[in-house]
Order: sequence, then C-alpha cells, then structure tokens
Amino acid sequence: MFILQTMENIIKMKYKYLFKIFSYKQRVIKLMLGLFLLVTNLSFAYSQITKDTIKLTPVVILDNSVIKKSYLKSAILKVQIQNEEIRDVGDFLRILPNVSGVRKGGVSVDPVVRGFKFSQLNVVLDNGIKIENGCPNRMDPVSSHVEAEDIEKIEVIKGPFVLKYGPSFGGLINLITEEPHPYDKFEIHANALYGFETNWNGQKEHISINGGNKKIYFLASGNYKNYGNYKSGNLEGHDMTFSSSFKKNNFTGKLGFSIKPNQNIILSYTGINGKDVLYPALTMDEKSDDTRIVSADYKARDLSKFVKVLDIKVYQSNVDHVMDNSKRPGYSTKQMIAEVNAVNTGGRAEITMQQTKHKILAGFDFENINKDGDRTMTMQMMGTTSTKKSNLWDNALIQNAGLFAEYNTFFSSFEFNAGIRGDFNKATSGDTLKIIKNDVNYFNAVNSQYMNLSASIGITKKINEYFNVSLALGRASRSPNMLERYIKLMAVGYDNFDYLGNPQLKPETNNEADLTLKFSQDNTGSIYLNGFYSYVQNYITAERLSPSVVMPQTQGVLGVKQFVNTDYVTFKGCEFGYTSPDNFSLGGSMVAAYTYAVIPEDTKYVLNGTQVTGETIVTNDALSEIPPFEATICVYYKFMKGNLIPKISFRAVAEQRHTSVAFYEAHTPGFGILNLSLKYKVNKNAEINTGINNVFDRAYYEHLNRKIIGTTGKLYEPGRVFFINLFVNI
Amino acid sequence: MKNKQLLFLLFLLVVIINFSCKKPQENPLVAETGHISFKFTHVVDGLPLQIDTMKYVNAAGNPYSIYDLQYFISDVTLHKSDGTKKVISDWKDIDYIDIHIPSTLTWDVYDSIPVGTYDSISFTFGISGAKNKSFMFVNYPEVNMMWPDLLGGGYHYMMINGKWQDSINQIENFNFHLGIGQLYKGNATNCVDSIYAFVQNYFNVTLPNSSFTISEGSTRHVEIIMNVDSWFKTPHIYNHNYWGQNIMEIQPAMQMVKENGYDVFTAHVIQ
Repeated sequence: MFILQTMENIIKMKYKYLFKIFSYKQRVIKLMLGLFLLVTNLSFAYSQITKDTIKLTPVVILDNSVIKKSYLKSAILKVQIQNEEIRDVGDFLRILPNVSGVRKGGVSVDPVVRGFKFSQLNVVLDNGIKIENGCPNRMDPVSSHVEAEDIEKIEVIKGPFVLKYGPSFGGLINLITEEPHPYDKFEIHANALYGFETNWNGQKEHISINGGNKKIYFLASGNYKNYGNYKSGNLEGHDMTFSSSFKKNNFTGKLGFSIKPNQNIILSYTGINGKDVLYPALTMDEKSDDTRIVSADYKARDLSKFVKVLDIKVYQSNVDHVMDNSKRPGYSTKQMIAEVNAVNTGGRAEITMQQTKHKILAGFDFENINKDGDRTMTMQMMGTTSTKKSNLWDNALIQNAGLFAEYNTFFSSFEFNAGIRGDFNKATSGDTLKIIKNDVNYFNAVNSQYMNLSASIGITKKINEYFNVSLALGRASRSPNMLERYIKLMAVGYDNFDYLGNPQLKPETNNEADLTLKFSQDNTGSIYLNGFYSYVQNYITAERLSPSVVMPQTQGVLGVKQFVNTDYVTFKGCEFGYTSPDNFSLGGSMVAAYTYAVIPEDTKYVLNGTQVTGETIVTNDALSEIPPFEATICVYYKFMKGNLIPKISFRAVAEQRHTSVAFYEAHTPGFGILNLSLKYKVNKNAEINTGINNVFDRAYYEHLNRKIIGTTGKLYEPGRVFFINLFVNI
Repeated sequence: MKNKQLLFLLFLLVVIINFSCKKPQENPLVAETGHISFKFTHVVDGLPLQIDTMKYVNAAGNPYSIYDLQYFISDVTLHKSDGTKKVISDWKDIDYIDIHIPSTLTWDVYDSIPVGTYDSISFTFGISGAKNKSFMFVNYPEVNMMWPDLLGGGYHYMMINGKWQDSINQIENFNFHLGIGQLYKGNATNCVDSIYAFVQNYFNVTLPNSSFTISEGSTRHVEIIMNVDSWFKTPHIYNHNYWGQNIMEIQPAMQMVKENGYDVFTAHVIQ
C-alpha cells in the first residue's frame, strides 16, 4: 500500500480525489485480500508440483454477464485482447470462468465450456460463418482459423439458449472479426504489432490497413507467427522441451459498399496457412493447413417502422489439411500421411422487428458440409515396401437447414426472452465399409436424417436497482458431426484409442436450467453467481470394440472405440464472478467455476496388463475430460491517467480427483500460477505491453491436456515466458 | 419480504447445483458361466526350451539352437460331446505368442464360457486366409510378423529363428518361417514376377487330451505345449542342410512344415 501511495504522490494525483475513493479502495482491498487468501489457500492445498506453486494470467476479465439476458454472456473486446499475450484464440479463451481447453500441441487449443466440447459447442465466425475442421484429430478447431489480432470481439454464451446461429447444444462462441466501415471523407489508417516471447522464441507480426470513403471502404490485414518448441516449467531441477513449434500466416481482405445510407454489403476473403505445426500428443503433425473463407454479408437497417434489421449472409469455408509422421521416430520404417478436404457452404438470413417493447427476430440458415480424405500408410519390412491407402471420410455429406425465432420483451420488473429453432439434418457418405459381427451392424448403413427441435425461455426479475435474478431454461438438440458419424480408425480421443464413427448415432439433447443472481453498482462493481444443471439425453460417448470386430490402424493405440449414444448424463456446476468498476485507479476481477458431471452407468473393461479379461458395470461414474474447480484473481492499478497499468493475476486450479473409472482416467494435481504484466501507452500512436507469464516457472499441466503420444505423461503447459508486444496505430 | 425472496432464491440455487456426490461403484456381471485361461509353454524333447544354446539335434541330425519363437493361433474352439462348440472370439480371435514377451505366454480369455464338460480344444495355427490381411496389425509386437505383400501379404503364422551347424561344421542362421506360400511359373523361385498363385498354409490343430469341465464362476487353466522338435519330424524329416536358411519363398518346404505341424501341440489341463 505504501508503495502504491508513494507512486500516486509522485504522479501528483489530486489528494481530494484520493480521499474520495479512499473508502471505496478500502472496500475493494478488503475484498481482494479476502479472495486472494481464499484462492492462495486453495492453490497451496492442491499444489501440482508441491511446494509453493503459483501461476497467473495477466488478464482482466470484463465479464458482461450483468446485462438483461437471462443467461450468462461474456464478451471480450479488442482492447482487452490487445492487453494479453495471445498466440492462440483457444488458449486465450481459457481465461473465462468455466472455459477450458484441450491442448495437443503448442497451438490450436480446443475450447471446452462447462465440460461441453467439440460439436457440443457452436463456434462461429462473424455471426454465422461456420468452418468444418479438416483434421480428424482437431488440430484445426474453428478458433484456430482466426488470429486474435483480427478479432474485434469474442462472445461466449453458456448453455443452449441462443439458437439463431445454429444448434447450440452446450454453448456458443462467436468470434467477430474487424470489419471495414465508411468514412465521411476518404481516410486511410494503419496499425501494426510486433510481439516476441521467450521460451518458445516466438514472434508474431500483424499489420492492418483500413480506409475508404462514404461509398467504398476496405480493410486488409496480415499476420505471421513463428514459434519454436516450448519448455515446461522447472520440474525437480530440470525442464522438458516439447515438440510444439509452429508457423502460421494469414491474409484478410474485406471490401464494403454502401448501397444506401442504411444498406451495405461487405465482401470478405481470408486465407490462413499453417505449416509444420507439431503436436506431441497426437500421432501425426500438421504438415500444412490451407484454409480459405469467402463471404458476402448484406445488412439493412431501419427498413420500416417495424423492420429494424435485415441481415443476409452467404459463405464458403474450404480447409485443405495435410498431416504426417515425418518428424516422428520410426518414420523410416512406417510412413503415414493423411489428407483431408472439408468444405462448408452455407448462409443465413435474419430479420429483426420491433413494435414498442416487443422485439422479434426470425430467420433461417443452412449449411452443406462435405468432407473427403484418406490416409496412406507405407511400411518397410523385410526389404520390401507395402502400401495401404484407406479413406478417413469418403465424400461424406451433412446438410442442415434450420428455422429460428427469438422474442424479447419486458413488463413490470420482469424481462423475458424466448427462442425456438427447428433443424432438418441429413447425412450420407460414399463409404462401402461394412463391419458386421454376430448380426450386429457396427458400421453399415450410412444414411440418416433427423428433425431436431430446440427451444429456450428465460425470465429476469429486477429485485431492485442493483440486483436481479434470472432463470433460463433451454433444450437443444444437435445431430452427430462428421467425426462421430463417419471417421474410420483414427486416434481422435484423449485416451489413446482409434475411433470408429457410427452412422446411425442419434442426436443428443441438452436440457438445461440456469439460475443467475446478479448485482451491479457503479461504485462497487458487478457480481454474479450462477448455478446450472444439464440433463443430456442420448449423450454421445464411445465404447470399446473388441479386436475380433475391428483392429486399430494407428501405431501405439490400445484398441478401437466406437461412438455410441448412452442413455443420459448430467452436468451441474456453478460460477462466480466479480468485476470492479472501471472508473477507479485500483481495480480487478475474480472468477471461480466448477463443473461436476456424472454418467449413471458405464462399462469398464478389466485389464490384466494389456489384455482385456472381462468387464464390469460402473455406476455413478465421472464423465471424462471435465475440468476441475478453478479460480482466478486479477488486480491492476492505473497510473498516469491510465497510460501505465501494471497487473498481477493469480490462477488457482484444484486437483481433479473426480475422474472416469471406466476410462481409467488419471487424477490431475492442482496448481497455481502467477502472471505479471505492464501496459504502457507511449502516446496516442504507440503502446507497449510486456510481462511475465508463469513467473515462478512452475511445471504443470491442465486436466484436459492430452497425453504425450506413446507415454502415460501429460503434455505440460509452457514454463516461464517473458513477452513484449509493440503496437503502432496511425 | 425482500430477504425472504433472496433466501428462497438462494435455496433454489443450492438445490439446482446440489452436489450430492455419489461414489462410483463397480458391479461385476453375473451369469452362469466360467472362464478359461491358456498358458503357453515350449519344450524340446520334453524339456523346457532353452534359447541360444546349440544343444539340440533334430531328426535329420542337424545340431541347432533357437533364439526367437513367435506365432499366432486363432479361432480357438471348445468342443462339447453333443456337437456344440464355443468359438473364442468375443474379444479377440487371434492370439500372439512370443517367448521373449512373458505377457503373451498367458491368455486370460475374455469370453464367458458356458458351464459344462468339453471334449476337446482346437485352433487354427496361424491365421485363416479370410482374416489374414496386411496392415491389420500396426502395433508392436504383432506388426513385426508382417508378411510382404509381394509374397502374399498378411502376417507370418510363425517365425522360428535359430542357428544350425551345417554339413561342413559352419554355424548358419535359419529363418524357419511359415506364412502364405507362393507358386512360381516354371522353375523360378525367389522371383516375384513369376508368382502365379498363393497358397494358404494355415492349418487346424486339435489338441490331444484336452477335455475339461467349466463350473460357474471358476476359471479353467489349460497349458498348451509346443513340442518344438516336432516341427522337424513326423511325418517328414526336415533337414536344414537341404532347405537352407530361408523358406518363406519355398512352398514345398512350407508344405512340409505345415504337415509336420499337426502334432506339434499337446495340452495339459490343470486340475
């Protein structure tokens, strides 16, 4: 405190002002200290490497959950993104409460929200563009196809409540990139970024130019990232280096036309290239990934007194993904290469109408997903070479068409929102594979079609000026994805098994209730407490198949699992968040979240060494890959009128002991990490952001991190990293 | 009033997120079945096989030693006197045995075996043609049994690697391998271009003295014994000096091995 006050004196802040905020500061400091002690106690209790583990992420989360919607909605704005050291959007999203990620390498962390992952989350780009990932191992989740430097805003909505962007089963992540906008007179602007971080010796570069006039305007941007292998933190005197290097570059061009003052159209092209992206937790590395996204977006506003917005969008995303094992031991005797092409063509139209306090949004969308890919294996044995080419997907096709509507209104002290969505989903494939044993069809008929109905309803009661309570109920169904339906024998899970698709999977349905208490006061900040319960029917999981049915095709795996529906599973959890008001020098945030998921009955295969010798039924088993309890606290202080902001954040993650018995899922020790950062705005055109992540160089791994292939050890997170980012705006 | 509302809402919240953590429980499946477990042993002249020692002499008079012995058996079938049978295939239908990998010398069978008395046990030595496909094994150790595609593909049924002392007292290596054979045009051998057909050399073995009973909930242990010396005698005398080091491209040699293989195995049911 003394240091802070001294520094305040040095910069000659007004004592009067200081006096005014003194009582507020005392309150905040008390609260922060309380929370800090809570978090540190937790982290020490569950220290991963023992001793005094500490971690931190230098992040201030401006959670916008304290708004009128009945569900939790977080938004991260560009200004916040710029303050962070981000090499990967999926990695960055883990700062949000109850958002975690599956790490398989240095980049492309796959987001997980409240334990829901992959297609259980609706991850869209720019309010509706969808990307079908090319890689069966999800080396390229949607979030990896956009660079943080191009993002204007990230929205994360938890639960099946927002249905307008497609079936939203467990949550929605909307990555909104920067768009060009018109200027009264012709103007041109540019901004650039250079970033470097130690440990990886990683560097990133970004440049963006935008400008135009009233009629025509444009935006062009490019990014380049080149990162080496990272080292874990210090583990008993030494660190570990993981093959995790990557190179990525992208280019985006957007051109806007103002047709009329209230109507515009934006044409967009993005090309993203990844090269030599290494994944130590997968059996292959990404040799190249070429993604092209084109879109056209028409928007009209205030078309009539009643029609407020009309938005029509069409797009196509095309992913060419090539991976191989050329950087792995054993390549000289066994070569594997897989090439996949995934194309998602779609569009949507929505119209927003408002009559007094009644707001209605309605529209339709469609997507056509085509996926084709094969794997070639070559083995040198006894002086001869044998080659086998097999398909991973054979012209697989999924078509989805949906109709949706939303309604919002308010009356008395209540606010009300509702949504409904119907989807017709149809799938087919060119597969000729048939796996039938004892009259059981494991893989046979490839056609399926489903009609899914989703709906949500929410109500918010305003108790008083500062406090409100919301209840949201939602039911959303999603049809199985390409992987779950048609993948053929690739190690796509976390558990070192090859996976086989199941063309006759049924859609899974999430029935969820969220209760949220929100308190917001200008001088105190915003606090929310949320509890949720999900009852998931026809939950898609996987069960082991015997070698007499099908043998694995991936080196090093233990066997084959096939996607199946299980009767039901439950998720429940809670979240807490506090964000201080922004209008004081001292501020901070605190978030905490926990999810507990159970499958009532699961089959456990009894192992004797590597032999399967029998099976048992496990009741009330934990669902696998559910993140443990965690909390993050962040404190910052604004010096020099906010031009100099040091931040300290501490993240504590508890041990995960609630793990799947049936899946032999290992426990994960807890840990705590401390991060520091300093943001300095040099002038209106230049800014520096520097800091240290994982200050104490702790060796730790997240529960969802995948195992290093061929071992039982998890992939560790990076150790201590010094970073610096330089921004220039013209 | 407001406090009551708040308390009620907090109560609701607690109910919704109630963490009534039930501990997982494992419940074994119950059925009127038992289990069977096989133990694989390898003997020469009735004594346990000793590797890397030139102490053995085969029926042709060749002194020899063995340092590798690996093979597959598949489709193990348990026969009852009423003609019914149980084919072991619920989990796996192909088993790999390797004298260097102790875990392969025991097979705790996954299948639940109906209780009763069984007359005999039979199996396929090697892998049937319908199942023996290239790339079906990609993992160690089975992958090392790969049989080149040019020679028929799939996997070796058996590899016995050793040494023998030849007619001029030199120590030579032999690869006594069995797998899919080839038929060559004319007198050509070792010339893959002249292959015109492949021959499946797997064969069925019925174990003598392999009757046993299975009772409910119990595990029957059966020892399957390979009499290694039998590969070189009855009905044919196998002479290393004649066939040389490698036989995987010599179908007549493999035919001889196949015919010698019918009586290589015996069984011992552990009471």
